[in-house]
Amino acid sequence: MSADPLPKQLADLAELLGQMCLAAAGALNNATAALLDSRVRLAKQVVAGDAAIDALRARVEEIAVDALLFHAPVAGNLRAVVSAIRSAGDIERMGDLALHVAQVVCMRHPHPAVPAEVRDHFSEMNRIAVQLAMKAADVVRSRNVIKAVELEADDDAMDRLHAHMFSVLMDQDWPHGVPAAVDITLLARYYERFADHAVVVARETVYAVTGQEPDAIPI
Amino acid sequence: MRDAYQEQLDELADGLAGMCDEVAAAMQKATRSLLEIDLQLAEEVISEDVRVDDLRAAAEEKAFALLALQAPVATDLRTVVSAIHGAGDIERMGDLALHVAQAARRRHPHPVLPEEVAPYFAEMGRVGVELARKAGQVIRTRDLAQAAQLESDDDAMDDLHRHMFTVLMDRNWSHGVGPAVDITLLARFYERYADHAVAVARRIVYVVTGQMPGPLTV
Repeated sequence: MSADPLPKQLADLAELLGQMCLAAAGALNNATAALLDSRVRLAKQVVAGDAAIDALRARVEEIAVDALLFHAPVAGNLRAVVSAIRSAGDIERMGDLALHVAQVVCMRHPHPAVPAEVRDHFSEMNRIAVQLAMKAADVVRSRNVIKAVELEADDDAMDRLHAHMFSVLMDQDWPHGVPAAVDITLLARYYERFADHAVVVARETVYAVTGQEPDAIPI
Repeated sequence: MRDAYQEQLDELADGLAGMCDEVAAAMQKATRSLLEIDLQLAEEVISEDVRVDDLRAAAEEKAFALLALQAPVATDLRTVVSAIHGAGDIERMGDLALHVAQAARRRHPHPVLPEEVAPYFAEMGRVGVELARKAGQVIRTRDLAQAAQLESDDDAMDDLHRHMFTVLMDRNWSHGVGPAVDITLLARFYERYADHAVAVARRIVYVVTGQMPGPLTV
């Protein structure tokens, strides 16, 4: 058995990671549409579609391990391979979180999982999370370090929304009871974690390109 | 030369197993800070989390050095790749212990947990700490039987986790939304902590057998 040349493998890894990010973005976007409009069929599609993201991850690991085995890369190339392995784990987890959102929709069907007054919050959390995943796709493909730093600012917006959601729940006047609050607590956490993983993927790229953690870079 | 190589591999495993012990101790303390409303203990967990982060960085450095200088193949390559994954999982376990301690600190001097749910968290803490210790032992011994045991311990955690939701969703829940939100997140932290411990053990199975035991959920 022979392996592709290293540059081809690195290009394939970047391309697959980009695909994974876009697949995770699509999954969350659909899961959110299902959540906001109680579309259980769409939610089931998201659940069924998660296997495709898992398969992409397996493919990334396969290529990465082949790259290590056949080419024994060093320095920047070694960092690129290892960070691909780690990023694939993060993006797979993003897919799982989209899946969790869809599962809540299925579990509560035919009732809506979230009351009308928090719909806008979830719609906004979804917008930010999907945007982060798409930017992460761009970063892994282009290896653009400057762009990677942008993701951190977007994630701050997510953290503010997440914190705000808790103040809504903790309000004395929350009229929807404990079960709805429990669902919303977990749902909000899924979006926040999704965003965190997207940021980690971008940071991995910064590390792969520069050999340094983003905090150490003066941009 | 090969001996130095074997030594490096052993050091890598020791480093990871040490991380497991560290996050087991962190979760034990975090759980006590939660149950005993002990602010100082919570602060300790919070300030000590950087130790886990440092251990992860050290483990990754070792893994990189091995890959770059020794170009391992076959089982050894699987070992190093699994170590990179494992270091990430165990660091995350440390973060989750930290989150538990942060919850205890945020509500101090008030208890986070109403009295009737405290025993469940004592049990989740016990199961979680046990899982982390066992994961460390599996890394050291590569004992597949023990690795399989983690799965059944994790089932116990899942049962506890599910049961917490039944308690919260019950009509007789009298503590309102605030504590329910805290408990929802805390229960999830324990459950995720356990999942990561199982993932670590599964990767050891993969190293030894070349095959993943069932689907990976982490």
